[in-house]
Amino acid sequence: MYDVIVIGAGPAGANAALTAEHYGLNVLLIDEGSDAGGQVWRVKSKSILSAPVTETSLKGDKLRQRVKSSEVDILFETRVWQIEQNEEHVWQLGLQGVCERSSVSGKALIIATGAQERVIPLNGWTLPGVYGLAGATALFKEHMILPGKNTVVAGSGPLVFFVASEIIRLGGTLSAVVTLNSRFEWLKAAAEMISKPGLLWQGVKWVFKLHIKGIPLHWQSALSSINGNEYVQDVDIIKTTKYGYLKRKLNVLVEADSVCLGHGLIPAIEATRLAGADHHYDETLGGWVPTIDQCGRTTVKYLYACGDNAGILGVQAAPYRGELSAIAAVEDLTGSTSETINHHNKALKSLGEEAAFGIAATALTIPKNGLIENIGKNVEVCRCEGITREEIEIELIKGSVSPNSIKSGTRCGMGPCGGRFCSESLAMITESITNQSREEIGLPTARPPLRPVSMDEISDELDYDELPIPGVSPL
Amino acid sequence: MSSENTDQIKRTEKISFTFDDQTVEAYDGETIAAALLRRGVIHLRNAPNSNTARGMFCGMGVCQECVVEVDGYKVEACRTKTSNGLIVKKVSYV
Amino acid sequence: MGCGTALRASEGGMNTIIIDQSDMGQGASGVNAGTLSMQIKRVKLMPYAIKGHDMWQKMGQEVDFHKTGGYTLAFNDREADLLHDRMTMKKEAGANISFVSPAILQEKEPSLAQKIVAASYCPDDGYANSSLTGQYYRKRITQLGINYMENTKITQINETSTGYEILSGENRIQTKRILFACGGWLKEAVSLIGEDIPVNARVNTVSVTERAPRLMNSVIGHATGLLTMKQKNNGTVLIGGGWQGIGKPSEGRGKVVMDSLIPNLQLAKFAAPKLAKVRIVRSWTGFEANVPDFYPLAGKLGKRDNAFILGCVRGGYTIGPYISSLMGDYILGKEPEMPLFDPSRKFEQGKLI
Repeated sequence: MYDVIVIGAGPAGANAALTAEHYGLNVLLIDEGSDAGGQVWRVKSKSILSAPVTETSLKGDKLRQRVKSSEVDILFETRVWQIEQNEEHVWQLGLQGVCERSSVSGKALIIATGAQERVIPLNGWTLPGVYGLAGATALFKEHMILPGKNTVVAGSGPLVFFVASEIIRLGGTLSAVVTLNSRFEWLKAAAEMISKPGLLWQGVKWVFKLHIKGIPLHWQSALSSINGNEYVQDVDIIKTTKYGYLKRKLNVLVEADSVCLGHGLIPAIEATRLAGADHHYDETLGGWVPTIDQCGRTTVKYLYACGDNAGILGVQAAPYRGELSAIAAVEDLTGSTSETINHHNKALKSLGEEAAFGIAATALTIPKNGLIENIGKNVEVCRCEGITREEIEIELIKGSVSPNSIKSGTRCGMGPCGGRFCSESLAMITESITNQSREEIGLPTARPPLRPVSMDEISDELDYDELPIPGVSPL
Repeated sequence: MSSENTDQIKRTEKISFTFDDQTVEAYDGETIAAALLRRGVIHLRNAPNSNTARGMFCGMGVCQECVVEVDGYKVEACRTKTSNGLIVKKVSYV
Repeated sequence: MGCGTALRASEGGMNTIIIDQSDMGQGASGVNAGTLSMQIKRVKLMPYAIKGHDMWQKMGQEVDFHKTGGYTLAFNDREADLLHDRMTMKKEAGANISFVSPAILQEKEPSLAQKIVAASYCPDDGYANSSLTGQYYRKRITQLGINYMENTKITQINETSTGYEILSGENRIQTKRILFACGGWLKEAVSLIGEDIPVNARVNTVSVTERAPRLMNSVIGHATGLLTMKQKNNGTVLIGGGWQGIGKPSEGRGKVVMDSLIPNLQLAKFAAPKLAKVRIVRSWTGFEANVPDFYPLAGKLGKRDNAFILGCVRGGYTIGPYISSLMGDYILGKEPEMPLFDPSRKFEQGKLI
C-alpha cells in the first residue's frame, strides 16, 4: 500500500508527488499521458525526435527530468476508472491502461486532474475540423501539427491568442481570430495581471503578431454558425453586445477548413466528486470546485485536490498548490515538523502571488448571458446522443428541473462522454429558463467509470466456480 | 497538414497502417488521429442518432468523438498510437 | 408507487398531494435495470406481477416498453436443477414459462455462451426504460391536476386532531391521511411519526454499456437471479442482477464498489462473451427496500387508521403500478381486488437458497 497516490502528473500533481517523496513517503503518480507535464507542459509524441524548444517545452522537460530521477513510483498511460474509500479510510483505485495491475491502494489520495474545456454549442460545432482550443494546443504541443490549412480561432480568454500565435509559429494560415472579449475587458484584466509583467508582455506580443501578419482580429464578436456538410467550409462572424448577444446585422462570412473554439476552462471535478468530496459553485474559479482549505484538504478524510481541478488558477499557481496539498498529506499522515511548517508558509506566499493572474485570466471567460441565447433550437447540445436545445427546453417545460431528471427524460449526458461536454451547457440553459442559480441546479450524480472502460480491462476471465455467489434470490 | 515548419522538426521513420482499407503513412508512435489529420482524413465516424460526420474534437480523451475500432475494441484515436500494420476501422453501431 | 397511489386516490375523488425529497421517479423505480420478467418474480407474488406487467404494457411507448421474451440460463448441473425446480413452481403459479434446449437457445440467441446446460423461456418477459418512469408519472399527474412538490425534504410531521401537519422548510401542509411510499427511505420517513418498521435497504448495482452490435434479442437472466441483461433498441446493454454496492439512504445515493461490480460484469461476460470488447460507460446503484421475509409492505402503518405504508421488496418495478392501484383503493375505503400485505405482520426470516 502506498502512503500517497497522486492522480494527474501535470504541474500540480507532479510537484505534489515530488514533495511527498521529499518528506520520505512512499508515493505513486498516475497519469493517462505517456509522461509528466499535463496539458500545458504536455510531452511531445514519441514520434518527434527533436524540435525547436519553447519556454513551455523546457519547463515540461525539467519537470519530467525531476520525476524520472525521483523515487516516486510511476504509472503512465494508465487511467483511474474507479475511486473507493473503505471503512479504514484506505483508498482503492480501479486502473485501466497499459499497467499490469488492475487496482492499487493508498492511505492518502491527491487529485490533480486539471481542467477541461468549456465549449458553448453553436450551429456546426460537431463538424469534423472543429476543435476545442485546448484540443488544438494538444495538437501543437504533442504532435506539432496544424488543425487545417486555414483556420478560424474563436472564443474567449487568453487561449484564443495563444492558439492563434501557435498556428502562426508552426507556419499555418489564419482566416480570422474572433474574441468575445472587448479591448476594454482585456485592459481591465491587464491591470489585474500586472503582477506578472512577463506573462502580460507575452500576451501583448501575441496580439502584435496578429496585427503584423494582417490577420483580421474581431473584438467582442462571436461565431454564429460554422457551415458545411461533412467538413467546415466557412463561418459566420457577428459582433456582439458586451453581454454576448449577437448584433444581427453585421455578418461577415469567412472561408476556413478548420475552427478552434473554446470558452474557457472549467475544473475537471469528476474524480473528486466520485471520491465523495463536497463541491460548491464559484464562477471566479471556473464553476464547480471541491470545497477545500488553503492546502487543498477536501471534506473527505485523506483526500486532497490541487491544480486547476480545485479552481482555475493556471499553470503558474499549480506547482505551489501541488506542494501545499502534499505537505497537508504529509502532516495528516505523519505530523508536522518545523520543515513542513516553513515549507507550507513559503508555498502559500508564492501561491498568493500567482493566483491573482489566474483569477484575472479566468474572469475573461466567465460565460456571458448572450452566449446561451445564441444556441439555436436545432443545435446539438449533447454531442453523443444528438440532443438539441429544443429537446432540453421541452423537457424543462414538462417539469424536469434537475440535471438527473433532464438526463433521464432526454438521454442528454447519457452517451459515452458521460455528460462531460454537455453538463455545463445543460446547466446554463436550465439557469436561463428556470432562473435557478447554478448552485440550486446542482450536478448529476457522480458515477464510475471516470472514462469508458472495456469489460476486458476491468474483469479478468472468470473461473466460474470461483464466482462469489452471495446467495440466490428468494423463491 | 503539410504546411508546418518541417525543416526544424525531426520525426521517427514512417510506418503504415490501414483505416477502413485505406493505407495511411504515419510517423512511428504518433496517434491514429494525428496521423489521419496529417493526411487530411478527419471524418472518423458518423454519430449514431443524427448520422452526422464526426472527428477529433477535444484531443485529450474526454469527448469520445474520435473513437475508432481496433481489434474489435472502441478506442480513442487521439490517444491510441499507430504501429506498423495496425488495422483501424470506422466504428459500427449495428 | 406513491404516484400510482396518488393517481388512484385522486381518480376516486380525494384531494391529493405528492411530496418527494428529490425528483419524481428517481428512486428505485427510476434507476433500476428496467427488467419486466416473470421468471424472476416470487411464486406468491406471481398474480400481482402478471397484473403489473399488463399495466406496463399499456403504458407502452411512453415508458419504452418492449416485450422481447426472456431466457434464464444455467451453466452447470447444480444451476440446472435449481432452474428446473424454481421455474416449475413459477409456472404452476401462472407464469407462461417453458424449458428450452441449449440447441434451440443457440439458434435464437447465437451470441450467448456455448456453455449453457439448461434454459427456460417466458414469451411475456421484456423491459421498460426505468429512466422514463418519472417523466411518465409527472405527465399523468399534471394531466389530472394533482399537486406535487419535488426536491422537498420533509423535516417534521405533527399529529393533529384531524390528521397530520407536514413541515418542510417554510411549507406547512395539512392532511387527513398520509401514505409513506419512499422505498429504501421508509424507515427514516416513518420515524417522523414515531413508528418503526424492520426495513433496511438493498443497494443494487446496474451498469450500462455504450452502443454495441446486436448481442441479444431477449431479456437474459441467470438461474441464481444474479444476472439480468438486455440490449435496448439503441444498442446499449443494461447489466444488473442485484449485486450490492454500499451506502445508506440517509447518507445520500449509494456507491458502486469494485468487489461486487467486477463479478457482476464477469458473469455478464461469461454469459455473452462478445461483451468483453464492449465499454461500460456508467455504473450506478439504486436503493431497494428490504424486509426479512422479502414480501411487500402494503397497508396501515401500525395501529393507525390514517397512515399507510407501501413498499415493495423484490420485483417492485414490475408489481409497482398494480399494487399502488390496490393501495389507492384501500385508502379510498374500497376492498382491493387482491389482498394487501400487512406491514404489522410477524416477519419470518426468508431464505436465500
